[in-house]
Amino acid sequence: MHASYGNVCRLPHELPKSKAETGGSGRYMAAIELDGVTKRYGDVTAVRDLNLAVEEGEVFGFLGPNGAGKSTTINMLLDFVRPTSGTVRVLSRDAQAESVAVRRRTGVLPEGYDVYERLSGRKHIEFAMRSKEVDGDAEAMLERVGIADAADRRAGGYSKGMRQRLVLGMALVGDPDLLILDEPSSGLDPAGAKEMREIVRSEADRGATVFFSSHVLGQVESVCDRVGIMREGELVAEDSIEGLREAVGGEEQLVVTVDAASEEDVEAVRALAGVSSAATDGGTVTVSCESDAKTQVIGALEDAGVTVKDFTTQEASLEDLFLTYAEGAGAVTGTGTGAGAGRGDDSTAAADTEVPE
Amino acid sequence: MSVEAVARKDFQDAVRSRWLLGLTAFFVLLVSVVVYFVRPGPGQTIPTSALLGSFLVRDALVTTLIPLIALVVSYNAVVGERETGSLKLLLALPHSRSDVVFGKVAGRAGAIAVPVSVGFLLPALVAAIGPLSLQIGTFLGYILLTLLLSSAFVAIAVGFSAAVSSNRLAIGGAVGLYFLFVPLWGAIQFPLRLYLGTGGAPGWLPLSGTELLRLLRLLNPTGSFKIVAGEWVSTTLFAAGQASVEGGAGQYATAMEIAAFAMLAAWLLVPPLLGLWRFEGADL
Repeated sequence: MHASYGNVCRLPHELPKSKAETGGSGRYMAAIELDGVTKRYGDVTAVRDLNLAVEEGEVFGFLGPNGAGKSTTINMLLDFVRPTSGTVRVLSRDAQAESVAVRRRTGVLPEGYDVYERLSGRKHIEFAMRSKEVDGDAEAMLERVGIADAADRRAGGYSKGMRQRLVLGMALVGDPDLLILDEPSSGLDPAGAKEMREIVRSEADRGATVFFSSHVLGQVESVCDRVGIMREGELVAEDSIEGLREAVGGEEQLVVTVDAASEEDVEAVRALAGVSSAATDGGTVTVSCESDAKTQVIGALEDAGVTVKDFTTQEASLEDLFLTYAEGAGAVTGTGTGAGAGRGDDSTAAADTEVPE
Repeated sequence: MSVEAVARKDFQDAVRSRWLLGLTAFFVLLVSVVVYFVRPGPGQTIPTSALLGSFLVRDALVTTLIPLIALVVSYNAVVGERETGSLKLLLALPHSRSDVVFGKVAGRAGAIAVPVSVGFLLPALVAAIGPLSLQIGTFLGYILLTLLLSSAFVAIAVGFSAAVSSNRLAIGGAVGLYFLFVPLWGAIQFPLRLYLGTGGAPGWLPLSGTELLRLLRLLNPTGSFKIVAGEWVSTTLFAAGQASVEGGAGQYATAMEIAAFAMLAAWLLVPPLLGLWRFEGADL
């Protein structure tokens, strides 16, 4: 049984309570449970010791830059790839041993798929219906995802956005309990992305759990109950959007123009209370800190013998925070190429860094 | 049923391919040419069995061309979808990997039934109006046996397609399998027949020379097909009793005919199972 919700955008304090309580047991049912999951391809670790639980009925945004391990994680949920270690459970079943049963109740929009070029959109939907053993109206489904007028054309002639809509339609067949959408907005124009969000909302209202990935926070902000942020195969943050906002609320970004700053100088800044991250490219020092720590930051730099020429402050946006988590740029020592923290230039993304909590 | 859903989808997909259309036209053309060549003189008629038993149809057409068509149509059945990514669409739906492999075998085997049936029936019907006396039972039975042969090769190709991870390997495998089963097998058999047929089997083998030759003939799906199809056309399938003079139609022992059927059935099942075994363990 699912509870149903009038509004997907809820405040965090309303979140997990009474969501999908099972009978009288008082225990929340997890739609997705990853426990100590690691996936290695040869020497490359795509996902490292991932623990994640998504409650039934929840809309969960799975964020991170490309290559962070999002798709590998999703592929493990669907048994496309098998974890090197750890256990994956979906809808309270073993994702590997009971994969067919899992997929019978799951709708999937995979990443890197292709449609059957020679078959029409209608044939695709009919195939999904036959596969899930449900009766339904293919026409109505195509209508719902907005490609009814192309129903009898070969899908090979569809645009990227139309293919995305078609496969979303296949995923929605049979009112699944869980929707797994990998980068659902890719290939869609802004209007299409908005329609996608509306569909996610109405599915959540129906009681479905929605798990979707994105590398753009803006797309998920308005529909997600909670988000998880992946970076280099690890989950670096897991919170509600509101929680993230609160976390970022007291922080400011201080950009200090200096004559020359070394790593040791920045280390001194990092050691200060109230500073969550600091980085330098030599000419500027970028610091994320609480607003009352600003003077101490300037003082610490001057104490270290750095000449401060100028400084500006700005309030960190949610997007900055996301980038900080996602690219791990917050505590990175710049190599002279970038403008500082939170901008996500490649040199910082690849560096081995500590991640602010 | 899941296998059926996959098979149906795959059939719909495959029959729409230009390859299949081209192969159908090609096959109709070839059968027509053969029918033209073996046609009787003016005023005479020949039975269809004479046509089907002729060297041109049996050896030149069916056992060389059918394996080729089957391999061409099926080599990328699984790995092709794996490379383009449509396999993710397939496996996002509630199908097991074995549903995919066996659904593919059924779907592609069904797709090949189109060129085979059209290729045989169309020229035969045309000829039947003229000088050919059509034995419809014999003819339909022959088509079914041909479909058994084509299905065996589809099964081999799909099994291979499931086992490998790239289209290039699948193409290489299909070409290799074709050369193994069609020209190479015959080339090896000829000198072996001279050697073994004259009683020169190696002493360490528990088989006599003729037994070894029989085994070699059975092992190749086209060899098994020739045995059962030859017997069928000469209406001696399962009727020859123990008469076991090797070589000509109507002269195989029933045990040999049963063995030939069993061998074809094994080709239908074993390669897909081996392919599935590799496919099950693969990360997609």
